[in-house]
Amino acid sequence: MKKILGITTLLIVVVAATAALSPNFLTAYNVQNIIRWSALFGILSVGVAFVIVTGGIDLSIGSVVGLVGCTLAMLLNPIDERPPGWAWKSVFQIQGCIAIVAAVIWGLARFYGRSRGSGRRLLWLGLAGAALFAAGRYAPGFDLPAWLHLPFVVLWVLALSLQIGLLHGLLITKIGLQPFVVTLCGLLFYRGLTRWVAADQTQGFGSGFTGLRKLATGKLPLTDDFALPVPAIALAVLAILSGVLLNKTIFGRYMLALGRNETATRYSGIDTDRYVILAYAICSLLAGIGGILFALDINSIQPSGHGNFYELYAIAAAVLGGCSLRGGEGSILGVVIGAAVMRVLYNAINVLGIPTQLEFAIIGLVILGGVIADELVKRLAAKRRAARQARDPA
Amino acid sequence: MPTRSSTRVVALLFLGLGAGLAACGKSDASADGKKTFGYVTNGIASFWVIAKAGALAAGEELDVDVEVRMPGPPEDAEQKRTIEELLAMNVDGIAISPVKPDNQLDVINEAAARTHLITHDSDAPGSDRLVYIGMDNYLAGRMCGELVKEALPDGGEIMIFVGRLGQDNADLRRQGLIDELLDRSMDSTRHDKPGEELKGDKYTILDTRTDNFDSAAAKSQAEDALAKYPDIDGMVGLFAYNPPAILEALAAAGKKGEVQVIAFDEDTVTLQAIEDGSCHGTVVQNPYRYGYESVKMLAAIAEGDKSVIPASGFLDIPARKITKDSVVDFRTELESLIAGTAEVK
Repeated sequence: MKKILGITTLLIVVVAATAALSPNFLTAYNVQNIIRWSALFGILSVGVAFVIVTGGIDLSIGSVVGLVGCTLAMLLNPIDERPPGWAWKSVFQIQGCIAIVAAVIWGLARFYGRSRGSGRRLLWLGLAGAALFAAGRYAPGFDLPAWLHLPFVVLWVLALSLQIGLLHGLLITKIGLQPFVVTLCGLLFYRGLTRWVAADQTQGFGSGFTGLRKLATGKLPLTDDFALPVPAIALAVLAILSGVLLNKTIFGRYMLALGRNETATRYSGIDTDRYVILAYAICSLLAGIGGILFALDINSIQPSGHGNFYELYAIAAAVLGGCSLRGGEGSILGVVIGAAVMRVLYNAINVLGIPTQLEFAIIGLVILGGVIADELVKRLAAKRRAARQARDPA
Repeated sequence: MPTRSSTRVVALLFLGLGAGLAACGKSDASADGKKTFGYVTNGIASFWVIAKAGALAAGEELDVDVEVRMPGPPEDAEQKRTIEELLAMNVDGIAISPVKPDNQLDVINEAAARTHLITHDSDAPGSDRLVYIGMDNYLAGRMCGELVKEALPDGGEIMIFVGRLGQDNADLRRQGLIDELLDRSMDSTRHDKPGEELKGDKYTILDTRTDNFDSAAAKSQAEDALAKYPDIDGMVGLFAYNPPAILEALAAAGKKGEVQVIAFDEDTVTLQAIEDGSCHGTVVQNPYRYGYESVKMLAAIAEGDKSVIPASGFLDIPARKITKDSVVDFRTELESLIAGTAEVK
């Protein structure tokens, strides 16, 4: 609880100050908007918190958000000229490529002696990939019925993001690459891929898919004039699951432990690689979920820009929320509040009519001030504790 | 031995990479004997996809190669790199839409010295470019102001949303819009600082908000404006993705149709909204003709025919106002242009 005291105070101070200065800040409409944006960015932040807890970093989140959003819109909206079965055939081909890439990475890992996987299993994985690819390429095309197409696409897009995370984890643990490099390459690669796949055309859902779009734009009426945006519910569910996973299960214990000291954890007989891979998989999966919601919410996905810099917002929120970039420390509730602080700041700047040019400057300053205050409070507490112990050695 | 085999694996990897790159690229422009022209945009957007269609159509018609390059962020640095690469490929001419013309004079002039250089979409005043093909952004801004006046004949409070200020087209459109609403004289050199409320007899411009080309930020800016000014009468989006973002925010707030939306450019969402009546109208440029005329002009100049250059150094491709009456025709025209089936109008 102590860990999130600083960030909670910061949130309350910013909210109180803005509310005092502008009567429009605490209107139901504005609060709903802030909650929706905080929830969307919060989902990404919770994801990256897992990676940060293990002492890693994920820079590819924004590009994954872009890739997932674009793929989702393209697969759901097959343009008329495309041949029948275009969507699922593309999915099969991409899936085949991923399986082959995974087999190659595993194969490489065997040279480094960091994988115990049998060669035969690898071969099967590669062959399965090739078969999938061939099926997608040469099978006769037919369209799935609409009721099946939608869940198929949504689930596959989530599976895609999960696999991206698994690949990151494999590269980092089995080949021993640095997380920064792997995910930086991811940032570049997925962005380029998105632009190429979409041929730089802005994607969207038009006026269709209103049911699906409710996931991001819908609201659950609580009182006569206040309704809770649906993404907030999604965030609440994901945050509670994540909180339980991180604090109440053995998986979370191991992640925190290996974030503190990976070597010691490994020597305690724990397969640390597995938990690192799990952390990256969770991070990318949440980026995928966030990516779907962002796309549904904004309804205009520019392949070159959608999601740019979101990884930095997510990382900032996680760090604000008490995650140490050195690993081993973190609180999910803190991360969620951190994401809310970022969004409240953005909103406050606009609602107060501060020139947009100052936006980044103010956000940077407030966060810096918050972190400094937090650090000072911590030091003061440590000093007092030390003084108390000196006075009272028992 | 593990080291030997891993060396081999690495060597194979690099070989593969090299082969892949070689297969993808092409390094010399004149390899097939045709003239080659570079068409450089100021970023990546649907707008430029239409321009690209125009440039490629002209290339096909005149039997020349066209290299369309869309630099990603940071656009000014990427434009420099792109121009250097095109020069290294020995292209016979370059058309560019400079992001920051004042700071890019060196690059532009160096390119102009080494090949034929023209500007399109956005000009580089004071540079050695041969001709500027595009529209007058100030006049387009005034056209946008006329649309606001049509939509709100009794006056009202409006707010402007734009990707970024400080680049020529954004500043001039905004100034034209403001000058038209405040019934000022024609003077494109005027500059009202953003962040100040501007009050005229009938119209008040509350503020101008920028989003740095981020659609999510554009939507959240529009929402924040609705929160701050619940009684706002009109919202104007000056870049292609601004009007859709405004419309999304209005729909979520249940204010679609209540607040007048005036747009710029031809996003599909914007055109649909004009047809539905939730957006009053839009000012469109003609990106297809930017691309088409640029390549045509460059091809003529490269053949030594300088008579195609207008005396003023400016080939005007005027903007148009699209409202409910004209939107269906316009959309049909646009679709056929992208599909490459129509003649240039």
